[in-house]
Amino acid sequence: MSSFSPDELTARRLAGQAPGPSMPPAPGTGDGSLVDDPAVRAPLVLNNRSFHDITEIVCGYAENKPPRWWLPAFLFASSLAGFGGLMILYLVITGIGTWGLNNQVDWAWDITNFVFWIGIGHAGTLISAILCLFKQKWRTAVNRAAEAMTIFAVICAATFPGIHIGRQWMAWFLAPLPNANGIWPNFKSPLLWDVFAISTYGTVSFLFWYMGMIPDFATLRDRADRRLRQLGDSAARIAPFVPIRTDKARAVIYGLLAVGWRFSSRHWHRYEAAYLVLAGISTPLVLSVHSIVSMDFATSILPGWHTTIFPPYFVAGAIFGGFAMVLLLLIPCRVLYAHMKDLITLRHLENMAKILLVTGMMVGFAYSMEFFIAWFGGNAFEVDVFLNRAFGPYWWAYWTMISCNVISPQVFWIKAMRRSPLVIFIVSFFITIGMWFERFVIIVSSLHRAFLPGEWHMFHPTFVDIMIFVGSCGIFLTLFLLFLRFLPVFPIAEIKAVLPQASPHADDHKKGAH
Amino acid sequence: MSVIFPKWTNALPTLLAVVVAGGATTAVGGFWYYATPKFYDVGYQPLQPGGGFNHQIHAGKLGMDCRYCHSNVEKSYEANIPSVSVCYGCHAEGRLTQFTDSPVHVEKTAFIRDAYARDESIPWRRVHKLADYVHNFPHQVHVAAGVSCYSCHGQIAGMPVVHQVQPLSMSWCLDCHANPGDALVPKDRVTDLIWVEKHLADRAAGSAEATNIGKALLESLERTPPDNCGACHY
Repeated sequence: MSSFSPDELTARRLAGQAPGPSMPPAPGTGDGSLVDDPAVRAPLVLNNRSFHDITEIVCGYAENKPPRWWLPAFLFASSLAGFGGLMILYLVITGIGTWGLNNQVDWAWDITNFVFWIGIGHAGTLISAILCLFKQKWRTAVNRAAEAMTIFAVICAATFPGIHIGRQWMAWFLAPLPNANGIWPNFKSPLLWDVFAISTYGTVSFLFWYMGMIPDFATLRDRADRRLRQLGDSAARIAPFVPIRTDKARAVIYGLLAVGWRFSSRHWHRYEAAYLVLAGISTPLVLSVHSIVSMDFATSILPGWHTTIFPPYFVAGAIFGGFAMVLLLLIPCRVLYAHMKDLITLRHLENMAKILLVTGMMVGFAYSMEFFIAWFGGNAFEVDVFLNRAFGPYWWAYWTMISCNVISPQVFWIKAMRRSPLVIFIVSFFITIGMWFERFVIIVSSLHRAFLPGEWHMFHPTFVDIMIFVGSCGIFLTLFLLFLRFLPVFPIAEIKAVLPQASPHADDHKKGAH
Repeated sequence: MSVIFPKWTNALPTLLAVVVAGGATTAVGGFWYYATPKFYDVGYQPLQPGGGFNHQIHAGKLGMDCRYCHSNVEKSYEANIPSVSVCYGCHAEGRLTQFTDSPVHVEKTAFIRDAYARDESIPWRRVHKLADYVHNFPHQVHVAAGVSCYSCHGQIAGMPVVHQVQPLSMSWCLDCHANPGDALVPKDRVTDLIWVEKHLADRAAGSAEATNIGKALLESLERTPPDNCGACHY
């Protein structure tokens, strides 16, 4: 491996032998090859990128003109989001009757979507917190995007409990605020724990994400500032005839976001300490948030919900669905953006495919255990609920869930499959569908038949139901596209730290030190 | 590195923290003070027909019992506003001359006789209002339990025109439902507002005699006041 130390690179640059700061990175060679020798650490960045290349590549995503597909994709996603917003407005003005809920199925798409989105976020927290504590270096390539996805998923998730309460203007009652009525939320209810769990989760995830970006904001700020000084009056304007230079706007906005970061070693020292603290705070959240979401169901006495397996089962499902969403977003990005394949390698995809396989089997185990316990527990009502789940009127939802979540990830036993981005993408798509159906099955199929046949009803989603869900996908995509366009998509410094050059012994082999 | 931000911007984070902390405190404090019934309901005193019924004269100086006019308070959910005929019972032409023949009095009460002659109600305006979702506030139950008029309406016998004294907010209701011993008075004293005011003040000041009366009343209470939602909101 022909790596060289940063000092050497600087020397070469000064001698004109190496590309200088203004030179764009050389094109990569595609997916590269995977090292299968267990004695050799697989490179985390391909094509022998230098420190400077990493800066150029990552900052390029925010600084260069966006790819041609970006604006149409953004317009499409934001119009979906806007239409979803109009549907929410219609719901607020008209009432919950615009949804397909009825007396029997009083939670349906609203809570399905809520649990679906909140689950999606868990992959981001797992990657950023747990993999950080376990020093899994491959996380550096995906953690920023996964954390961003977490925040956006939490935003989508938080919409649904807020609008499903019927009188949305009373949503502030979710918070334990002193009021003239002297009434407080029910502290014995998991629905309230949920409010605390989600808001803690959102806050900590946001802090984690933002704090990680501060050094990268400073890089973007300094680059914009340097260009501004080099180009002077010829620097581009943000729009024709508007007397604001693009780089001036960048320097100010990224500068504000960078809150005075100057790359001093004292800054880095505190940054690392804070990062570890946040990783420590986030780690229990990976397990607690979805456990508490599951208690919304598990603490009820409804057969089909009243099971102790729910917390671990929900957490496994959340990580499963979250990783599927990370892959669903990053595999296209990796194809569509220049040099991204150097940073997100097949090794990364393979690792995540393995997590999909493991967590997929965990949820498969939970599905079968629910049936086993229904039979083993000898409760006729519970047996009936589960038989109804698999063979009743919602059989199609149940078997969609089983085939997407349990059967489809099994292809990852084959090495070629978990190294094929296309296969991973397709399976991730199935898993995302399957995980949505899992929540639908849990909620609707448990509710739709109560103990008396007079209480048997079907749930039929309305146009408003469907469009609010589609709108939440639009919000998610809009935010993610904005993230790709304007923010540092990779943690620049952390990726540099996993380059071979970052090791003080990087050159030892070449110099015959062994 | 060039200077993107002037030096004073170093103060921005501190300034922001101060503004956020100050803004949050102001918002919370402002809501707590201004947006609660103890601010915006207490003191409510609408303009009344004929300048208002003078409780100070009738209930205070003349010593009329509350139940002379609010005659259904012991039987009904509502402490009724008297009909014009009740007013006319005393204020008929020439009937009060044995007490007063002041032309001012005759002039000020003319609207009663006018309304009576036209067979119309006097449009008194309600002072004490509960929210429309409070379906269930039984006056008769409270009076029978020994809750004086004074506890909710204040010293009516001293008011020339009635205004609201207590916030009538739900937490205020619940405070009393949680500690009824602070407000219960002997049943024959419920409408004796002057006595009640002094007695409850003694009890609050810790007088042994007044406290013992309160304790005895609390023990004799048949049922503890309800604190479930359905008690007031169905």
